[in-house]
Amino acid sequence: MTLNFAKLFACAALPLALASAPAAADIKIGVLVPDSGPGGLFGPSTRNSAMLAAERINRGGGINGEQIELVFADVGVPPAEAAQAALRLWKGEGVDAFVGMHDSAVREALLGRFSGQVPYVYTPVYEGNSCAPGLYITGETPSQQLAPVIPFVMEKESVSKWYLIGHDYNWPRDTNALAKQYIAGAGGEVVGEEYVPFTVAEFDSSLQRIRESGADAVLITLVGGGSVGFNVSFASFGMDRQAIRLGTLIEENTLAGIGSENANRLYSSAGYFASIQTEAAAAFAADYSAAFGSDAPALNGLGQSAYEGLMLLAALANKAGSLDVQALDEAAEGTAWSTPRGDNVLRGRHMAQTIYLADGTGGAFTIVEAFESVPSSEACPS
Amino acid sequence: MASILLRASLLLAVLLPIPVLFGEFTAYQIGLYLIYGIAAQGIGFLWGKTGVLPLGQAIFFGISAYAGAMSLRFADGLALQLAAAAAIILLLSSAAFVVAFLIFRGRSESGPFFSLITLALAMIAEQTAGTATEFTGGFNGFSGFASIGGLDPFGNLYYVIAAAAVGMSLLLFAINRSPANLIVRAVADNEPRLQLLGYPTHAVKSLAFAFSAASAALAGILFASHQGIVTPTSTGFALSAELVILTAIGGRFHVLGPLIGAVVVGWASAELRFNFPYWELIMAAAFIIVVLRAPGGIAELLDNSFMRFAPNSPRDESARKDAPMPQGRRVAGSLEFDNVHLQAGVVRILNGISFKTPDTGIISVIGPNGAGKTSALNAITGHLRLTSGRIRFVGDRIDSLPPWQALNCGIGRKLQVPSVFKSMSVMENIAVSMLAGRASWTDYFRTRAFAWRSEELSRVLNRRGVPLKNSMEKQVGTLPQGHRQFLEFAMAIASGPSLLLLDEPCAGLSPEETALMSSLIREFQENSGGLVIVIEHDMSIVEATSDKVLVLHQGEVLAFDSYEAVRNDPNVMAVYAGSTK
Amino acid sequence: MSLALILNLAWHVGTLALVALGLAIIFGKLRIMNMAHGEFVMIGAYSPVITSSMGLPAWLQLPVCLLTVGLVALVVERAVVCRLYGRMFDSLLATWGISILLREAIELIFGRGYQSVSLPIPGTIQILGSGYPAYRIAIIACIALGFALLAWWNSRSMVATRIKAMVENPGLAQAVGIDTGRLSRWAFVFGCCTAGLAGLALAPTIRIEPMMGLDYLIKSFFALVVGGLGSLEGLGLGAGIIAGTQSLIGAAFNQTYGYLAVLSLSILFLWLKPDGIHSASR
Repeated sequence: MTLNFAKLFACAALPLALASAPAAADIKIGVLVPDSGPGGLFGPSTRNSAMLAAERINRGGGINGEQIELVFADVGVPPAEAAQAALRLWKGEGVDAFVGMHDSAVREALLGRFSGQVPYVYTPVYEGNSCAPGLYITGETPSQQLAPVIPFVMEKESVSKWYLIGHDYNWPRDTNALAKQYIAGAGGEVVGEEYVPFTVAEFDSSLQRIRESGADAVLITLVGGGSVGFNVSFASFGMDRQAIRLGTLIEENTLAGIGSENANRLYSSAGYFASIQTEAAAAFAADYSAAFGSDAPALNGLGQSAYEGLMLLAALANKAGSLDVQALDEAAEGTAWSTPRGDNVLRGRHMAQTIYLADGTGGAFTIVEAFESVPSSEACPS
Repeated sequence: MASILLRASLLLAVLLPIPVLFGEFTAYQIGLYLIYGIAAQGIGFLWGKTGVLPLGQAIFFGISAYAGAMSLRFADGLALQLAAAAAIILLLSSAAFVVAFLIFRGRSESGPFFSLITLALAMIAEQTAGTATEFTGGFNGFSGFASIGGLDPFGNLYYVIAAAAVGMSLLLFAINRSPANLIVRAVADNEPRLQLLGYPTHAVKSLAFAFSAASAALAGILFASHQGIVTPTSTGFALSAELVILTAIGGRFHVLGPLIGAVVVGWASAELRFNFPYWELIMAAAFIIVVLRAPGGIAELLDNSFMRFAPNSPRDESARKDAPMPQGRRVAGSLEFDNVHLQAGVVRILNGISFKTPDTGIISVIGPNGAGKTSALNAITGHLRLTSGRIRFVGDRIDSLPPWQALNCGIGRKLQVPSVFKSMSVMENIAVSMLAGRASWTDYFRTRAFAWRSEELSRVLNRRGVPLKNSMEKQVGTLPQGHRQFLEFAMAIASGPSLLLLDEPCAGLSPEETALMSSLIREFQENSGGLVIVIEHDMSIVEATSDKVLVLHQGEVLAFDSYEAVRNDPNVMAVYAGSTK
Repeated sequence: MSLALILNLAWHVGTLALVALGLAIIFGKLRIMNMAHGEFVMIGAYSPVITSSMGLPAWLQLPVCLLTVGLVALVVERAVVCRLYGRMFDSLLATWGISILLREAIELIFGRGYQSVSLPIPGTIQILGSGYPAYRIAIIACIALGFALLAWWNSRSMVATRIKAMVENPGLAQAVGIDTGRLSRWAFVFGCCTAGLAGLALAPTIRIEPMMGLDYLIKSFFALVVGGLGSLEGLGLGAGIIAGTQSLIGAAFNQTYGYLAVLSLSILFLWLKPDGIHSASR
């Protein structure tokens, strides 16, 4: 039995790592990670990615010549408690900037409490159109994940009839609103659209509808456990022969839960996969396993986004010459930097980035295509 | 009154200096815990006293927070915002009252069904809030409004929250001192007895639920201002469960318990979450230990150690006041059964019973086990619904009235197994029975009603040999069976009923006590001039006390006549053949 | 109504009845509101993972499941639940704490991540032109058979009568020679084991992760109170109504309406028939 004490060790190692940081560390950055709740799965990989980024930044001379230090807080709790945890870092520990990997409700709560007084980088996949002073976003928005991908998939797999299924909340609805445009634009049609409550764990009636709709492609915006449950049922009914699946939040952990025999013709679109073969990404993955061991929590797009967030913060602050929100806002547009994801540019507070399409057949992602410098249409007006 | 103000000022003295002493962020944190604590205080009131456990208090918390947030976005000016807040609280507590009233009506218990209904309502509320994105902002929440009166959430808003917590505690302390407190506590203790004392317990429980909803709604309004965002989690199952846990850990039987619980748990989980990823493990273990080892929560532990230094002094016994006359009718008259049938499933309990009593006197009901004696009394007080037939008292039909209406018709009842409020003292038991049918709305909130005595009651209490006078402060649960018999008798006659139903009043009494009870019954009848119906097995008592004897056998009237006539009735002798009596 | 819909209905009703069976024993008979019931389903679902991580062959999954769940249940009963008989709301609170402990324990051992269990019987069976998973059909048959056996045993065994006697009058039951402590203990363990079995049966068809228990807990409670405590018929009726409403409304309209309909229906039943449709003789 492989006892997973990795998380425990990570926690124990964390104070050590921080203690061994150079004594000159005079910029504190609050990193908001989900340790509890449904997103708790991503806590360890997010922490690790952030620590790797901090180490990289400090090795490269820090931010404006000053060393940085990370302070973590658990925000996998309801928005009120998450806001408290963040405020504790800000008002109590005196952090100078935030990098957050959490859900949108927590983001909205934080924006209300930060009021543009502290820089804040939001990193996970999200619905877009969140704009506020001091807020910068590295996460993929629906337009980035779908605009180039839908026409490509339709051509590659010769599919045209789409069924859209997602959880019943903002992100899937916003994603599907855009998806419909792209599908129509590529000459396809939407044969069904459906939203499922978080509390429903069975998808039989949805599968029946998909079968009857004659769809040959399914766009999945279910999250986490729901996505696993749906995909397992989907394959067990033999529906993988009827339709391809494309998900915009199916990362390595979700794929592992779906299982290799259920992942036939399951595509995922994201800005990062652990299996990206570029030189930068391979080097990053090697550093990750060197730092945290070979059985460290698997790399995935959400966890790795914390690395992106810190790198954006460093690039931006170095360009602006300070961590002052006004200076950052003025310098933000057009900031360019490179990460394991590829070459990135900040446009309208959002990160134009490379988008990868991966095929999960066989239970592991293989990159099918990379679309470079994809801008977000849900970015902020500059 | 003085001690209430003292406690409230102590709480104020603890809460006020927090921003100055510990800084604005700590005050902000404590503010959130106090908001949860206010909602938990409502749960403590409902659960600790009436025994009704609400598993969906976040419905009121969340809906109020959404409504408050919307009013803050659209209403300008403090006056308008306060009016909106008051209206929201009032509306939600009225809605809670109506829901609880509908659910509790016609029942005399609060089993898990009510808890599960509130749980389901909270789940519906959370799902609706998440789906109705146009109104609520959906999952991402409703934001973009200032706090009430434009107060700074990191500054002055704290004082508003602290004031609300102190105000709520003050109110609860005052209620604790009032007779109303006895009534709500009596619900959890012995609901059927309270109904027989004339209380519509479903309305009492609904009022308590409405009060808890109001406290949750108040907390919700404050939450919206404090957080600047309201999300579906604020109205869902998880928060509801969390509030119950805070109440349980803090102590549901004490006014400040839930506040203490909210602050302690909130602070501890924030600290642990920051330092230890498996914080839930520690919280869960602590929680289990509290439930197992200290079901009264932190407040009970504090209270017990406090009591060691300052034990309660007994109340003054000499100052007694005459109670007002009971409301409702107190006219003597006959009781009439008209072809009464009663059937439960396939079991026929009463098979066409008909009799009419005289207007006054003592009627003994005898008959072998299973004759339907107790069922006949249950039919009179509305505990059993008739299959057919009529029961009239003083000429009016009473068979379709619920138990709590019996007292209003002038009917008092003592049950077979002594049914009293075990968790309360003798004095409190008597106070509840004295309030019954006499107290007006305002009396329930005035302590003077504790001192009420009626002529009937004083006669029993002061009678030599009645063992109650010297154990007034004792908890009834610790009294011997015989003492409880006398207590229940005293409570049954406290309202001066014109029809008194006694089910084996002498069971478990010593010969001396039996003689005393018999003479008390006789005396009561003579003084009241009403009707007394006694179920009794002991023929010597029957002979000594009865004016007439009703003999039931297999759900039918076998004989209804004087003791002598009944004893010589061949039918009765046939049934009792082989019996030595 | 199409055949697939009927099979789906049978699957949902059957699995819900199986999941709720343990709760029916523990809540219905012992009067313990076991909020950790879903966690026993979860541990059952993890048992294939436990089996393979110990390097044991797959046919040992069933004994491993019963052993693990039974052992955990025994510890829980001895340490906590045995002190809570007769304290229903306290049992609710304490077992809520236990559910968190069990979740965290599983997380500590296997991590937060999703586990996947492959189907023992892969593939679909063609029925009237549309495929239906063979594994599901096998499980539906097993559940039907199991419940038939249970009903048969229940009608002749004295155990149910003894438990009923014990709950209604513990003192008297003890006086007539029923070892109430032992009886409650094994009834609790048995109830948890059926939950574990349900988890094992469901494992290849669902997501497996430490938080999955809550999905099953609330639905089981509603099925129980709607159907009525204390009888197999009530359990079947309750599971049928709850799972049936979700499936039918979910198929006819959408899943959100199905979910809301289940909740509304539960409220209606709890309000109008708080003892359930088919309450045992009371």
